Amino acid sequence: MAKQHSCSNSSAFQQPHWMKIQLNDQKQEFNKRLTKASPHSLSQSMSHSSTDSISSAVSSKSSEDESSPQDKLQKTSKGLSDFCVKNIKQADFGRREIEIAQQEMPALMILRKRAGGEKPLVGAKIVGCTHITAQTAVLIETLVALGAQCRWAACNIFSTQNPVAAALAEGGIPVFAWGGESEDDFWWCIDRCVAADSWQPNLILDDGGDMTHWISKKYPSLFTEIRGIVEESVTGVYRLYQLSQVGKLWVPAMNVNDSVTKQKFDNLYCCKESILDGLKRTTDIMFGGKQVVVCGYGEVGKGCCAALKALCAVVYVTEVDPICALQACMDGFRVATLSEVIRQVDIVITCTGNKNVVMREHFDRMKSGCLVCNMGHSNTEMDLASLRTAELKWEQVRPHVDQVSWPDGKRVVLLAEGRLLNLSCSTVPSFVVSITATTQALALIELHSAPQGRYKQDVYLLPKKMDEYVASLHLPIFDAHLTELTNDQAKYLGISKHGPFKHNYYR
Amino acid sequence: MSEAAGDAKLEVKQASKEVKESENAAEKYSAMTVSKNSEMNMGELSSAFSAVPTHKPVKKQIQFVEDKQEFSRFPTKTGRRSLSRSISQSSTDSYSSAASYTDSSDDETSPRDKTQVNIKGSSDFCVKSIKQAEFGRREIEIAEQDMSALISLRKRAQSEKPLAGAKIVGCTHITAQTAVLIETLVALGAQCRWTACNIYSTQNEVAAALSETGVAVFAWKGESEDDFWWCIDRCVNTEGWQPNMILDDGGDLTHWVYKKYPNVFKKIRGIVEESVTGVHRLYQLSKAGKLCVPAMNVNDSVTKQKFDNLYCCRESILDGLKRTTDVMFGGKQVVVCGYGEVGKGCCAALKALGAIVYVTEIDPICALQACMDGFRVVKLNEVIRQVDVIITCTGNKNVVTRDQLDRMKNGSIVCNMGHSNTEIDVASLRTPELTWERVRSQVDHVIWPDGKRVILLAEGRLLNLSCSTVPTFVLSITATTQALALIELYNAPEGRYKQDVYLLPKKMDEYVASLHLATFDAHLTELSDEQAKYLGLNKNGPFKPNYYRY
Repeated sequence: MAKQHSCSNSSAFQQPHWMKIQLNDQKQEFNKRLTKASPHSLSQSMSHSSTDSISSAVSSKSSEDESSPQDKLQKTSKGLSDFCVKNIKQADFGRREIEIAQQEMPALMILRKRAGGEKPLVGAKIVGCTHITAQTAVLIETLVALGAQCRWAACNIFSTQNPVAAALAEGGIPVFAWGGESEDDFWWCIDRCVAADSWQPNLILDDGGDMTHWISKKYPSLFTEIRGIVEESVTGVYRLYQLSQVGKLWVPAMNVNDSVTKQKFDNLYCCKESILDGLKRTTDIMFGGKQVVVCGYGEVGKGCCAALKALCAVVYVTEVDPICALQACMDGFRVATLSEVIRQVDIVITCTGNKNVVMREHFDRMKSGCLVCNMGHSNTEMDLASLRTAELKWEQVRPHVDQVSWPDGKRVVLLAEGRLLNLSCSTVPSFVVSITATTQALALIELHSAPQGRYKQDVYLLPKKMDEYVASLHLPIFDAHLTELTNDQAKYLGISKHGPFKHNYYR
Repeated sequence: MSEAAGDAKLEVKQASKEVKESENAAEKYSAMTVSKNSEMNMGELSSAFSAVPTHKPVKKQIQFVEDKQEFSRFPTKTGRRSLSRSISQSSTDSYSSAASYTDSSDDETSPRDKTQVNIKGSSDFCVKSIKQAEFGRREIEIAEQDMSALISLRKRAQSEKPLAGAKIVGCTHITAQTAVLIETLVALGAQCRWTACNIYSTQNEVAAALSETGVAVFAWKGESEDDFWWCIDRCVNTEGWQPNMILDDGGDLTHWVYKKYPNVFKKIRGIVEESVTGVHRLYQLSKAGKLCVPAMNVNDSVTKQKFDNLYCCRESILDGLKRTTDVMFGGKQVVVCGYGEVGKGCCAALKALGAIVYVTEIDPICALQACMDGFRVVKLNEVIRQVDVIITCTGNKNVVTRDQLDRMKNGSIVCNMGHSNTEIDVASLRTPELTWERVRSQVDHVIWPDGKRVILLAEGRLLNLSCSTVPTFVLSITATTQALALIELYNAPEGRYKQDVYLLPKKMDEYVASLHLATFDAHLTELSDEQAKYLGLNKNGPFKPNYYRY
C-alpha cells in the first residue's frame, strides 16, 4: 500500500518545503502517505525546525549485516525482547555516545535533578517519533527519569544511530528503529510502538507528524486516552493547524517549533557559527578582507553577516524588504543589488527563502574562484539547473564541493549543490539540540500536569513562562547569574517576581 | 489640605489671567474654565492634579490605568523637571534637539498681548517674535538636509497632492524638524494650524519662520499653563475653518477637542498619535467605547521603535558619556543593567570601543541572548566593586540602591538610559554625610566622608535627553511615519478604519524605511514576478507577516 503511493508522493519531496506550505491543497494532507525515499529528497524536505536533530548522527555502517532487524530475535541482558534495533551488542558503544552528549546538554541533566524528586511525569505513557541520536537519547532518558514510560520510533529512515538505539533498548526502553529502514520498515516500527499489548500511550511526541498521522488513521480510539501532542517540526505543526482548522484535532497540541528560544537558536545563533564552520571545512578559506555578498537579512542573514564581519570580511547585503534593508544599513552593511557587486565578490551566500536568487547570468559574471553556497532552508535559491549545460564542466573536488568550469577556464566553487550548507557540511551543536529537547520535555510536562480544561482541542504555543524556564536552564552553562526582582520592583512593573517578564508579542 | 490649596491656586491664576486677556479670547477661555469647574467636582480636580506626571513615572501611569490619566482630567504642565520625567519613551525623539538661540526672558511682554503681522499681512498666529523668521528659516534648512525622506516624499507625491483638502490641526514639539514635517504636509496640499505640546520645547525662531510662510502657529517657549491651553484653543477654534485631521503628541489636543468641541469630531477623519501616553489614552477611550473617530498609533511602528531605542541609544550612550565626562572606554569595566532594545544598543556600542561589558537581567530569555552575544551575565552586587561605569536601562525602579552606591569605587560613573528617573535611588544620596558638588551642567560629584567620589549624570534622569541630542535622522523616521499615517487616514476609503486605534499598515512602515534608504545609497532588490509568486507575496510588499518582529 505504501509502495504504490511512493511514486506520486516522492514528487512532493522534490518541491521545497516552503512551496508545500503555499500549495497546501495538492500535497501534505493527513490522508496521504509520506514516503521516505532517498537521502537526497530527504534533505530537501528537511524543514528549518528539524535541522537540529539530524546532522550529528554518527552511525556504524548499516551494510555490515544484511539480515533485516525485523527478522532477528534479540534480547537485552535483562531478557527483554520488546524492541527492534540493528544490533543490541552495540549498546556499550552507544552508551558512550550518550555520555558525550550529556555533557553538552546540561539543561536536561539539571531538569532531572530539579524535578527528579517529584517525578512530574509519573503515569505518563509517551510514544515518540523523532530522530534517534545521542541527543534524543538524553531526552528520552530524562523523560524516564521524570517518571514516564516511553516507546520510541524514528522519524527518518536514515538518521538513526544504531549504537544509541541499542543502548536505549538495553536500558529497557522499547525502541524500534535502525539506520536504513525501508518504507515498510518505517511504518512497521511506528505500528509496533503504538500497538503494544496492554500499553496505551497518553502523550505523543512527534517530529514531522507521521506518528500522529498513523494513530489518527489506524487507532483513532487511542485519542480518548491521549492528553496531548507535542510537535517539533514546521511540517508537523502546519499539519496540526490544518487539522485544527477543519475541526479534526481531537486533543490539545503544543507547537514547540515557534517558541522564542528555539527560533533564535535554530536561526540566528546556529547560523552565525555554522556559516564559518561550513565554509572552512569545505574550502579552508580565509575570511579577512574577502568580499562577501549575503542575500537576505532575516535572522539567518543577520547571523551570517555578524560572523563574517567579526572576521573582517567586507560584507554586502541584498534585501527586498525595506525594513530589513534599513536594519542592514544601520548595522553597517552596504545594501546593494546582486548585479552591482557580483563581479567583485569572492563569496555568495543565499538565505532568502526565495527561489532563483542567483541566476545563470550572475554565475556567468562571477570572478574565477568565487564560492557559492546556500544557508536558506531549501535548495531553490540558486538556479543550478541552468548550470547543467554542455559547455560547463562539473568536477567534484571533495564531498559536497563541486567546481564548475567555464570554457574560458573560469571556475566557480559550488558547495553542497545548493543545499543547506550547515546541514550538509557542518554539524549542529548539541547545545542547540539541547534547547529543543528541553523545550519538548517541558511541553510534555505541561500537557501532562495541566488541569483538565486548561488546554482545549487546539494548537498551543508553549506558555511564555516555560520558554523562560528553558532559557534559565541553559544559563548555568555560561555561569550567568540572573538578577531577581524585589517585591517592590515586581509591584512597580506589575509583573510576577518569577515571570513571565514580557508580553506575548515581545520578540 | 494640599488638594484644596492647589485648587485655590488654580482659581486665582485663572482669575488674574482673565483680566489680562483680550475680550474675545477671555470670553472663550472663561467659558472653558466655567465648564471645567462645573464638570469636575473637588475630588476629581485634585486627583487630576495629583495625576501630574511629576509624581509618577510614565510606566506607572500605564500600570494603574483606573486611577489616573483619563481624558476627562486636565494634565498640567508644571516644572521643567516634571516634564523631563514625564517624557515617555516614545516622545524622547521630539524633545531634546530643540536649541533656541534667543532667551525667552529677553522680552517680558506675553506674545498674547502683542499684535504681529507676517509678510503676507496675516495676523492669524501667535509667536514670540515674527522678526526671528529669517533665522528660523536657516534652522529649518539645516534640518531638511538630514530629513531627505520627507523631501523626497514631497517630490514623489507633490503632483498628486494626496492631502489636498486636508485641514490638519497639530500639537507637537515645535522644532526645526517638525517644521520640515509641517511644510511637507503643506506641500502635499494640507492646510495646517499648529500648537506646541510642551511649554518649553518650542524653538521661537522656527515658530516665527512657519508663521511667516502662512502656517497658523500658536506657540512660544516658556508658555504658562494658561497660555498652553489658550494656544490649543486658538488652533482649534477659528472662524470659517474646521479641522478634519488631528496630529497629536501626548493627547492634549485630542483631549481639548473632545471636551470643548465634540461637534468637530463629526468632520474629523482621524487622529494620528505619536506618544506612549497619548496612545494609551486612546486605547482607554476605545475600550470605553468613547472613541468616535479612527486613530492611528504611530508609536508602535517597527521602524520607529527600532530607531527610538536600539539605534538611537547605541549612539547616544557614547555621546552622552563623552560630553559629560570625557571618559575613555577602552578597557573600562561597564555594567549595563537590562538587556532589552536599549541595553542591546548600549552593550554593542561599548563593546565596539573595547570596554569590558557585564550585563544584569531578570528575564532568562534576554539573559541567554546576552550570553550568546558574548557578555557576562552577573548580578549587580558581584561586580559593583570593580566597575567603572554603571548604566541602567531596565524600566524598573531602585535598580541601583544606596547600598550599592556605597560600595562603588572612587571615580565611577553612574547614569541612566531608561525612560524614567526611578532606576537609581538618587533620593538615598541626599543625606547629610554626603557632599554634592556640581562640576558641570548635568554632572554631580557625590563625595563620601572618606573622600570617595561617585559621578552622577543628569541626577539619574535619561542621559540621552539631558546630555546629548537626538539625531535629526531619528526624528525624520518619526516625522515620515506621521506624514504617511495622515495620508493613509485621509485617503482611506470610507469604512476601512472604524472607530478604533490602528497600527500603521505594514506596507506604510516599509515605505517609511524605503524612503530612508536613499540616505545610505542602499539599493533594494526587487522580486521578479516568478519569485513573488513562489513566496506568495505581492512584489511591492508587505514582505512579512504582521507578527514578524525583525
